[in-house]
Amino acid sequence: MNFEEWTLRLLVILVLPFIGIFLGLAYKGFDRKISAMMQSRIGPPLRQPFRDVKKLFMKENIIPDHAVAWVFHGAPLFALIAPLVALAYLPLGPFEPVMEGYGDLILILYLLAIPAVAMAMGGLASGSPYATVGAQRELVLMMSYEFPLAIAAVTIAWKYESFSLAAISQTPVWSMVGPMGALGLLLIALGLFAVLPGELSKVPFDQAEAETELGGGLFVEYSGRNLGVFYLAEAVKMVVVGALLIALLFPHNISQWYSFGGPELLGVSVLGTVADVLFFLFKLLIIIYAGVSLVRVALARFQIDKASYFYWVPMTLLGLLGTVLVVMEGVI
Amino acid sequence: MSDKNTYQVPIGPIHPAFKEPFMVNFVLDGETIVDAEAHPGMNHRGVEFMGMHRNPLKVIPLAERICGICSIVHQHMFTTATEHAAGIEPTERARYIRTILAELERIHSHVLWAGVAAHEIGFDTHLHFTWKVRERVMDLLEYITGNRVNYAMWTIGGVNRDITKKMYPKIEDTLLYYESLYGKLEDIFLGDTSIRLRTRNVGILTEEDALRLCGVGPTVRASGVRKDVRIDQPYAAYGDLDLDYVIPSSFGYENTGDVFSKTLVRLKEIPQSIDLIRQCVDGMPDGDIDSEPRKAVLINKLKKADGEGIGRIEAPRGEAFHYVRLEGGMEEVANWKVRASTYNNLTTYRPMFMGEQIADIPIIAACIDPCIGCMDRAEVVDVRSGERKHFSHEELHRLSVEKTKMLLGGLP
Amino acid sequence: MPTSTVFTLIRQLVTKKATNKFPVTYAPDNMHAAAAEIQKGRLKINPPVELPPNFRGKLAYDVDACIGCKICLKVCPSEALVFKPEEKKIKHYVSRCTFCSQCVDVCPKDCLKMSDEFLIAGLDKYGKDMVLNP
Repeated sequence: MNFEEWTLRLLVILVLPFIGIFLGLAYKGFDRKISAMMQSRIGPPLRQPFRDVKKLFMKENIIPDHAVAWVFHGAPLFALIAPLVALAYLPLGPFEPVMEGYGDLILILYLLAIPAVAMAMGGLASGSPYATVGAQRELVLMMSYEFPLAIAAVTIAWKYESFSLAAISQTPVWSMVGPMGALGLLLIALGLFAVLPGELSKVPFDQAEAETELGGGLFVEYSGRNLGVFYLAEAVKMVVVGALLIALLFPHNISQWYSFGGPELLGVSVLGTVADVLFFLFKLLIIIYAGVSLVRVALARFQIDKASYFYWVPMTLLGLLGTVLVVMEGVI
Repeated sequence: MSDKNTYQVPIGPIHPAFKEPFMVNFVLDGETIVDAEAHPGMNHRGVEFMGMHRNPLKVIPLAERICGICSIVHQHMFTTATEHAAGIEPTERARYIRTILAELERIHSHVLWAGVAAHEIGFDTHLHFTWKVRERVMDLLEYITGNRVNYAMWTIGGVNRDITKKMYPKIEDTLLYYESLYGKLEDIFLGDTSIRLRTRNVGILTEEDALRLCGVGPTVRASGVRKDVRIDQPYAAYGDLDLDYVIPSSFGYENTGDVFSKTLVRLKEIPQSIDLIRQCVDGMPDGDIDSEPRKAVLINKLKKADGEGIGRIEAPRGEAFHYVRLEGGMEEVANWKVRASTYNNLTTYRPMFMGEQIADIPIIAACIDPCIGCMDRAEVVDVRSGERKHFSHEELHRLSVEKTKMLLGGLP
Repeated sequence: MPTSTVFTLIRQLVTKKATNKFPVTYAPDNMHAAAAEIQKGRLKINPPVELPPNFRGKLAYDVDACIGCKICLKVCPSEALVFKPEEKKIKHYVSRCTFCSQCVDVCPKDCLKMSDEFLIAGLDKYGKDMVLNP
């Protein structure tokens, strides 16, 4: 690896967080707008999340008397940094992961668990009974959805005999299986979509925040900049989880089917890259619409035991069945 | 009460689970509720005291502002009580107009409640849906009375504005709209899996508890108690109308008394109200809307009146009650007491909360359709120490005996 | 699965929205500046919903017809009407009015009327338009 390549990587790593935050907020705006439209409301303008963040950063940052200050301040930062780091290990559309070769799927799964833990830590450190209940719920929920997520990830990785996301996203997993395996993959995809709202703490799995029950739960004592950082973390996490789903299940690119002409840069067609990026953003849009917006307006919030049961029993069984189908096909 | 394994979480005075200032102290074991204690008295505004410095005609607009949703309920009760005290009879036509408006308000209140209940379980889509369809009945009420919320329709001995023949088509339109919509509401609130998951077997109030704790309205009807002032002691035009108790077993459901049955009772009351309004419109008698159109004469009449009266009606939330005493030669209302349905239903909270989860707190709290603004009428605060006081049953009994003696002229 | 709900939701993506767009669709960044723009006629506001025929809006007072009989003071629940002894007329505080229309019903000379005007919110409750016959 030469000096120029490292400089380029460093540059991309410096820019990537900003792109992640921008995309996250933009998709949050989209989510809010489309949910409102489905509920027969006009909804906020698309740039509303940007304004919200701006306003939160201007507000006073209040620390409750009973809070453990350093954990209380540290939690939002952890929650934001982890998904930003994960972004560097994820293939985004036509681009390979920036840190290719230095981390894989397992690392991303761990990085995705950090925001939830950080949120729970922040909640426990804020010293409010509501936040404590919220933190407990967040941890219970996290332990519940991690298992179906892990099953799905391991099954797909088994098919490639590699945990490298670059390798997985090179060839769509659907092209590697027959009809039985495709059925199994479909079940796994369903399980992954069910994990999406839980991972992002959206209705029906927003028990940790549960506005009407806990008045904001984890975030009840957070205000100002700290809350703004949590807001950003949530937005970035949406992009990261969406991109992970795309990398695992739909890593297709337009340039695979249609070769673009036109000018070239660094050996690839500029037009093709632009089309691929747009296609990636479109895929993300569809995933966020189907997995987050539509689900959160069409369901009521579950009780925490029922949510946990949902992940531990039906979704785990679904995932295991999918795994068995995929493996069976490989054996036969 | 609290030991090592339990901890306390106060819900309220300001909390999203209650839309008004109210507090319940919960003792929790993990996510399970072990004990609940209600602390009312956060929303006391001294409305009765204000009323006792005004003549009855001035009290009517004040009474309707006790609560925004039960606007009609309170003015209806106050006028009934005052008419009872002063010996004024409302005209026949006014009785029918009052019934139509009261039933329209029942539709609006129940649709609104359904939305709030959906919001409490995190289902905002249905909140937006029900509040959108509620606009139609609000529009109709505005069309008839001239205002969306505070109708200012009642007066002592009648109503202020008439429902003319010209208004009938619009009323019928709205009724048809709600009839066509009813299937959808039922589909949403009784058929939706995720709502059933949250309402079935949650917040159970047994028939025994319902009777013992003197709950009122849909809260106890859901447990199978046949209790409805409209039938038990008809007022306004209800005596002429054909109606029956709405309890789940009449519709092939079990009288379980859980949140689901309470939703069911409220939803089933919507077609009943539509039917009652139709009956009223068909049988509307001719005549005056007001037994004394000259207000100045009416005020003089009320000034001379001496006596006490009660107004007892079936509000959308259950039976509510007003007591009014007028003294001869005194223009102001001598005594006014409001007892809203939430006050009775509050006692049913404890058996409903016991053993449930934190997640069920909002929906159980909402299932009696609490209206704290209506309920909070008195609070005892020791001025010197600033301490809040609760009276025991014996103490209250002693105090009321003393007060009755005092009112009867004897010394305490 | 709540399938009918999902279909309704997707259909509502394209149907007309229930939000009342009056006065403007999105809240402006600066309310005062926007209000000034509207007054100058540079910013257009969306029309409000239609008013019902017997809407009870701001009180209209015909000073000349008033005979100063004070009956309206007897029925006004919020003391929004104040008698001016030297003129033998009344003064009306719009900010205190509850729009119950009882004074309109009792007025023997019909000099009080409920108008259709409802845009009466303001910062100064004793401002120019907020007190009738000051």
